[in-house]
Amino acid sequence: MDDISTSDGEGLPLRMFSDEAHDATFHFQILKLTDQLYIWVGCNAARLGHLFAAFPTPFDRTPSLTALIGGGPDNTGASMARRLSMKTGWSIILAINLPSNSPTLEAYAERRLLQELKSLGYAKSSAGAQQINGSV
Amino acid sequence: MTSFPVQSKKLSASIKGLPTELVLSAYEDSILVIVTQIGKMGTLLHARKEQAYGGAATFNVHVLMGKRDEPLLPACARQVIEHISNNGGSKSLVLSLGLKDHSPEALKSIVQLIIDNKIW
Repeated sequence: MDDISTSDGEGLPLRMFSDEAHDATFHFQILKLTDQLYIWVGCNAARLGHLFAAFPTPFDRTPSLTALIGGGPDNTGASMARRLSMKTGWSIILAINLPSNSPTLEAYAERRLLQELKSLGYAKSSAGAQQINGSV
Repeated sequence: MTSFPVQSKKLSASIKGLPTELVLSAYEDSILVIVTQIGKMGTLLHARKEQAYGGAATFNVHVLMGKRDEPLLPACARQVIEHISNNGGSKSLVLSLGLKDHSPEALKSIVQLIIDNKIW
């Protein structure tokens, strides 16, 4: 309408990729915003799944976590959102659709995501990696 | 990468002189629309259609996080979900609005921009 002009420029950096592991197909979307990441993880299906937000706060070393759509603190992905926020130092909006009660798939998805975040230069490649594998 | 199951679209626009980034993604059950002028997600809204058997549809919109004192933001989500529904879609909508300009004209342009670039 009035005063809209569009251009299919570069836009926001959006990374999308798929991967196969543990007899499942994983899909990932990573959208880079300012000090924020929107991440979607899908397994075998393309549903949005649960939506979590994790924010670093000055009050605690552990980022604050909110379940926005579905899910609770025990659900798949809740602690993943927290750890991704710790790793990047940014806010994480994580949409995740993984089968419940499958720690193997969850651990794989998190490792794969971190690997990607590091190669994109979003996550600090520091110690922590061991810690993550250990705590899943 | 043969076919990524989620169709996405992104573009840059200018709304009343403000650079605006738009990202749309179509999931199996939801449509995600991110509109930002501040580089952040800003206010996050969730909109769903609810339909009783044989009855008229109603739309359920609520703010997941962010500004709750800005009635034009849910109105924006309401317009977009209605458009999705009118086009035969039954998907729900997750709308993120990180705006500098909350004027009615700007929001009207944003709704128009989303509809012009629809992926449903």
